[in-house]
Amino acid sequence: MKEEKKNNENPLKVNRRHFFSQLSVGIGSLALGSLLIPDLFKGGGAQPLAQQPLGIPHFAPKAKRVIYLFQAGGPSQFESFDYKPTLKKRMGEDLPESIRNGQRLTGMTSGQDKFPLMPSATNFKQHGQSGAWVSDYFPHIAKIADEITVVKSMHTDAINHDPAITFFQTGSQISGRPSMGSWMSYGLGSENKNLPSFVVLTSRGKGNSQGLYSKLWSSGFLDSKHQGVLLRSGKDPVLYLNDPDGISRSDKRHLLNEVSQLNKMHHVETGDDEIESRIAQYEMAYRMQMSVPDVMDVSKEPESIVKLYGEDCQVPGTYAANALQARRLAENGVRFIQLYHQGWDQHGNLPNAMAGQAKDVDQASAALVMDLKQRGMLEDTLVVWGGEFGRTNFCQGKFDPKDFGRDHHPRAFSIWMAGGGIKPGLNYGKTDEFGYNIVENPVHVHDFHATLMHAMGLDHEQMTYKYQGRRFRLTDVAGNVIKDLLA
Amino acid sequence: MTRILKNRWVDYAILGLSVFLIFCLIFDSYIELPNLVAWLGRWHPLILHFPIVLLLIAVFLGLTGKKVPDELLVVAVLSALVTAVSGFFLGKETLVKGDLLFWHQWLGGGVALVASLWYVLANRGLSGTMYTKVLQVVMVGLVAVTGHYGGMVTHGEEFLALPTNKKEKEIPENPVIYADVVTTILEDKCVSCHNPNKKKGELLMTNLEELLKGGESGQTLIPGDPIKSQLISRLHLPAEDEEHMPPEGKAPLTQSEIEILERWVALGASDTLRFDQLPESEPLVALIKGLKEGDAESKWASLPVVADSTIKNLSNDYLTIERMAANSNALSIDVFSPPEYTAAPIIAMERIAANIVELDLSGLPIGSAEMDFVARCQNLEWLEVDKTPVTDAEVEKLTALKNLRLLKIYETPVTDKSISVFKQLGSLKSLYVWKTELSNEALESLKSENSGLAINYGINPEIETFFVASDSVAIAK
Repeated sequence: MKEEKKNNENPLKVNRRHFFSQLSVGIGSLALGSLLIPDLFKGGGAQPLAQQPLGIPHFAPKAKRVIYLFQAGGPSQFESFDYKPTLKKRMGEDLPESIRNGQRLTGMTSGQDKFPLMPSATNFKQHGQSGAWVSDYFPHIAKIADEITVVKSMHTDAINHDPAITFFQTGSQISGRPSMGSWMSYGLGSENKNLPSFVVLTSRGKGNSQGLYSKLWSSGFLDSKHQGVLLRSGKDPVLYLNDPDGISRSDKRHLLNEVSQLNKMHHVETGDDEIESRIAQYEMAYRMQMSVPDVMDVSKEPESIVKLYGEDCQVPGTYAANALQARRLAENGVRFIQLYHQGWDQHGNLPNAMAGQAKDVDQASAALVMDLKQRGMLEDTLVVWGGEFGRTNFCQGKFDPKDFGRDHHPRAFSIWMAGGGIKPGLNYGKTDEFGYNIVENPVHVHDFHATLMHAMGLDHEQMTYKYQGRRFRLTDVAGNVIKDLLA
Repeated sequence: MTRILKNRWVDYAILGLSVFLIFCLIFDSYIELPNLVAWLGRWHPLILHFPIVLLLIAVFLGLTGKKVPDELLVVAVLSALVTAVSGFFLGKETLVKGDLLFWHQWLGGGVALVASLWYVLANRGLSGTMYTKVLQVVMVGLVAVTGHYGGMVTHGEEFLALPTNKKEKEIPENPVIYADVVTTILEDKCVSCHNPNKKKGELLMTNLEELLKGGESGQTLIPGDPIKSQLISRLHLPAEDEEHMPPEGKAPLTQSEIEILERWVALGASDTLRFDQLPESEPLVALIKGLKEGDAESKWASLPVVADSTIKNLSNDYLTIERMAANSNALSIDVFSPPEYTAAPIIAMERIAANIVELDLSGLPIGSAEMDFVARCQNLEWLEVDKTPVTDAEVEKLTALKNLRLLKIYETPVTDKSISVFKQLGSLKSLYVWKTELSNEALESLKSENSGLAINYGINPEIETFFVASDSVAIAK
């Protein structure tokens, strides 16, 4: 369904600027208008991207949907994908000042007078044709090394969880901007009218967790129909799907029609666009009553798939169950599926907690990629796995290789991507031997957003939304598409 | 001697301009123009239209035996002379005149001088005689040829060439980046203004030597530094910018053309670099592969136009029709399982069958009616009929899909009979066939005939075993 740019037809919505901008194309000044706007009568010709109707990609997309496996809390790159043998050699030595270079620290380690280098709590091996280094915590992801592309040179602006995760999701550290899923829904529309185009699923590991707030999937200043829909973890992913006793489907339809009439009258009176969204939401809820039970019913999945994702995928609310759900949602045309797995904030007890977190997600993440691949969905589905920042190469708290912590580190961390328009089996970017600074091909969060949008067929500089007198973008006023990553 | 106009000054002006023009043409190489005079040359493109029209009207009147009004002839001759002189001034802006410009200049001078001769003949009372008639015929020819050469100087030599179906210059298997790719882009988009006949900004783009030499603003091409190379930086400017290249009204470069030039410069603007010397992670690799395949948008440019209203009418809650891209008439169709399935909405898309490039019918109880429709989508590139009851009989119908690149047909009852159909799909690159009746031997023989085909048999059993065995997930107690 193509969503037309709203032409503010309600007389209450015309302001002085709007009035004057309309003047130039009024009937009486068509001739003048066509002089001022050369393409006025062209019609049917190529319009600039910014004036394109919404809901259509700017150019042919490589990916049609995104599954974003967000590892909330900041998984350590030193125990996952960034192998640094130097740390073992120089274990316990103080981090050289020339490397730290006055980098700001969090309040958790700024009090330390020593920053002893701490090697990886686990071993690394090279895997696949690509020779990617993967730690022993992730044996299943290691098996799909040739399907994924590891970016070891991510960096971000924020050093604490909330601003950093907000930055990753909305392109700004301060809340209030639309989430990337909402931007995608706004720009590309919905593939399946019976499901929301942006769905969120959360799960929680036993590790140290940080809060997740609904602002991370908020539509900000965009129309609220682009907001992410959070599915509950439990028996009923969506509550009250069934009509109450004695109310038939046709009664419900009748009721909705009447309510919609009233809402439309109210809209004429006030000109508030949110009323139209409300009407659309009621319709969506009505259709979801039919579509959701079918989509969310994992009991039809064959034994082989259950074994692939791990037995846990039958326990609602686990990461594995959400990963399997993500595949089903993707099959049913949901544009942006976001999983959050909490518990990656290892300020202490890292070896234990990180192993536990990895256990939660390792098999299901890898299974998801393979499952998508066998269904031919890896050709047009983009999978992303990563957290909001990395962790320090020095130890936080007491120096004990069996039980230590790492603090937040925004300057360099690792994520991986697979599928839709991304080159497989690439090891992109490089950090120095301490894993502290990036020495090759840095990828900033804005660049990551720009690249993701490019894969989805959107030009991140052209997709703007005017609000409070200025135009906003997901990438703000930055971001470069990382061409090297694109297939 | 019958005087046309009782005004000697007209005679003097025409005589003076003619002499001056002849002097200019002969002593061309010795002349240097002061700035202000050179500026007069810039008016040439504006005033040249007057003599063309006036002279042709005069010739028409003369040849049809009507009287040519004296004033008309005077104004025509004067404007022809002024045009020729200003044209000469404009021509001085290019240091070395190419063939086109040389001919345009002499022919234009010829037009002006023949016009002066006509004025002389008219003054002698020879209007309507054979002499004048011959001269008028010559005049028409001269005006036409001069105009044509002028047009070629401005718009490039190919401008009036008959429209041919532009055969994309075949890119060889292992192209030399400069000779086989970069020059094609430059010739297509830049050389019409940067050639020996029309050396805009003193810059020639006909070969690498000249590019490295640069033009007025220097820094045209700095190997290894695309940001400082104006060849690249100007392409990136917003279209409304003065400095943007190509200038307004000329076809801009496509995004991928810009990227190719940029990477070529970044890699040192070499004229020997070959495709196979590039590392796999180099963006040029993908760009050139894209060129070989032809970018999607241009491939779909010839599809019939589909109105938004048509899309709206044919879609419903369970059938989504999306344009592949803005300004594109290529369509992607997704059909989801409705509560009560009928084939009608799918068959109703007959009108837009030619526009459908992607069609997803996964998991629907489709039969032969739908597959007949699929067979009529002759531009289909992507087809999903997995988890459907399609059999060999229905697959048979797909032989017409010459552009089919991807076919998902896993979890269906198709058997080895369908292999012969798959073999006829020349463009097929990806085939998903697990949970079917197809035998491995048959698929192997298909693979041997189509080496570019990736066949997906489902998850690699070895990896699957590992996943099942090492169930690493501890169920939370």
